[in-house]
Amino acid sequence: MLNASRYLKIGAIVLLAVAVLAFPSVAPNPYILSAGVLVLYYAALSTSWNFVGGFTGYISLGHGALAGLGAYGTGLLVAKGGLPPFLALFAGAAAVAALAVPIGFAALRVRGASFVIVSIALVLILLLVFQSWASVTGGSRGLVVPRPFDLTRPEHHRVFYYLFAGLVTVALLAWWLIDRSRFGLGLKSIREDEDKAEALGTATFAYKLIVFVVSAGFTALAGGLYALWFGDLDPVFQFSILTGSYLVLMALLGGVRQLFGPVAGAIIVGVALEYFKVEYGDTPLHLVATGLLLALVVLFMPDGILPAIGDLLKRFDRTKRSSIREVSAAELREQRLAEAKGAAR
Amino acid sequence: MPSGALLFQSILLGLLLGGLYALLASGLTLYFGIMRVVMIAHSAFLILAAYLAWYLHERAGIDPLLSMLVTVPLFFGAGVGLQRLLLTRLRPATLTMMSVLLTFAIALLIEGLLGYAFTGTQRRINLGYGSASLELFGARIAVVKLIAFGLAAVALTTLYLLMKRTRFGWALRATIQHRDAARLLGIDTERVAGYGFGIGLATAAIGGTALSLDTTIYPSLHWHWIGPLMAIIVVGGLGSVPGAAIAAMVLGMAQSLLQIPMGTTWAQTVFYVALFATLAFRPQGFFGGRLAQRF
Repeated sequence: MLNASRYLKIGAIVLLAVAVLAFPSVAPNPYILSAGVLVLYYAALSTSWNFVGGFTGYISLGHGALAGLGAYGTGLLVAKGGLPPFLALFAGAAAVAALAVPIGFAALRVRGASFVIVSIALVLILLLVFQSWASVTGGSRGLVVPRPFDLTRPEHHRVFYYLFAGLVTVALLAWWLIDRSRFGLGLKSIREDEDKAEALGTATFAYKLIVFVVSAGFTALAGGLYALWFGDLDPVFQFSILTGSYLVLMALLGGVRQLFGPVAGAIIVGVALEYFKVEYGDTPLHLVATGLLLALVVLFMPDGILPAIGDLLKRFDRTKRSSIREVSAAELREQRLAEAKGAAR
Repeated sequence: MPSGALLFQSILLGLLLGGLYALLASGLTLYFGIMRVVMIAHSAFLILAAYLAWYLHERAGIDPLLSMLVTVPLFFGAGVGLQRLLLTRLRPATLTMMSVLLTFAIALLIEGLLGYAFTGTQRRINLGYGSASLELFGARIAVVKLIAFGLAAVALTTLYLLMKRTRFGWALRATIQHRDAARLLGIDTERVAGYGFGIGLATAAIGGTALSLDTTIYPSLHWHWIGPLMAIIVVGGLGSVPGAAIAAMVLGMAQSLLQIPMGTTWAQTVFYVALFATLAFRPQGFFGGRLAQRF
């Protein structure tokens, strides 16, 4: 059953795909192209974040550290282990996913605020370790990762642009599949009411752990790809709480319950970040801007802009109600009461 | 094996450090107890207070201890305003999560504005008594550390008396224990929560001033504090003031003692090790707290 809004959705997705694929050809200079790579990197990270944040409602500020681990894992395997770059990428991501099991085991035992605290602690402790353990990580001097291809700079950006686009696509596909699966339903029940979900027999802890590991794996892939692209790692940037908060900001701004929410957020925030870097350079004003944006989103738009746009479109199309709309228990009850009243009459 | 004098000195320093940690963590437990809010910006306010103390000393020659006459009321007002104007706007269902993000945003704002106003340069207050120290059984203790500990002790005692002996304290504790029941008894819980928040932030003003006495400060310093403080309140059990105080003392002491064999950087990891050990073995915290697992 294809209705107008469904056509609109498919059209928007096709349009988005065409725009993304065509971007390198229309980018006026290598700098703009590199900014495009960065935006796709953010899109990959925030989509990966949304496996945990969107499905289970657990807000992690520590995903920046998982990306950093992926970057360092890949970088060290290439630079010190001598592995071929793309083998190192997948080996690094697998290692991070394995490491995510004990991390998740500790962190997911607590909920809400405690979980956020743990995720912040994860970033801080990894920053400490990677800065201090200079003999392995290079410490504050940084780690230079050899480039995988022998290409000119613009060509290098172009190749990695498509690699990141591929990663985003795979991550989106995985999210979409989970969203429609029984597994996804279990995860969403954790988001709505964890105690009731558990009482109904959902293996909540296993579900949370699995999705956390999946999320960590994708995050590490994005981080590793970044290491191969950028070629120079510094603990201060790789293990920064700011990166983690950018991801949360992007996902929230776009809408955590939407497939394309984090991507939309990444485009908006990523472009804004690049703009701020160009305009204000090294001043701390980008912190102020990020803080303001985050506060405004949390206060006034906690559901994100995609749902806001969706509501706007729904106004024009009153005849059809979207069938995949998610409803809260309270809304469902009201709806049923109204139906029951109608039936009684 | 470290010498006895060094060990003794470390124990004393650990005690003094623990006192300061206890003061700062008490503010965090207050917020959490009252409103289930995890205030990431607490340590940013701490650095803000330290900067105000530094600025008043630099420009007007005012002693940092006197600067508290300005910062404490200012921070109290800011806390009341923060609770009334911003936190009450959040949806109750997602309050805990969203408050983390909101206060995180405030922390970023403070850090960015401090960097903009005072640049990223490291600052330090030069006090007449800044380098003075006392000899005590072979241990050297800087006077400023003693003053900082004294401030923490006075502030914590005042807080204790306020909570136990005044009508406001009763109302505050009732609000923490059971908000709805407190409201049924005629307590204006909204107002009490606002004032409670103000008191929490006032402890940050005192702590920040104590910090400014013997620390080099810079805008992003608050990240170094947030980790240990968060670890303390989780280990102590979220929402438990005595738990936080005990955890602060134990961890402050552990950090101070571990500095001898491990050096200052690695000794910091004790907080995170304690944090993860707590979560793995006793998620509700080791001392008292019973709220933690749910929030």
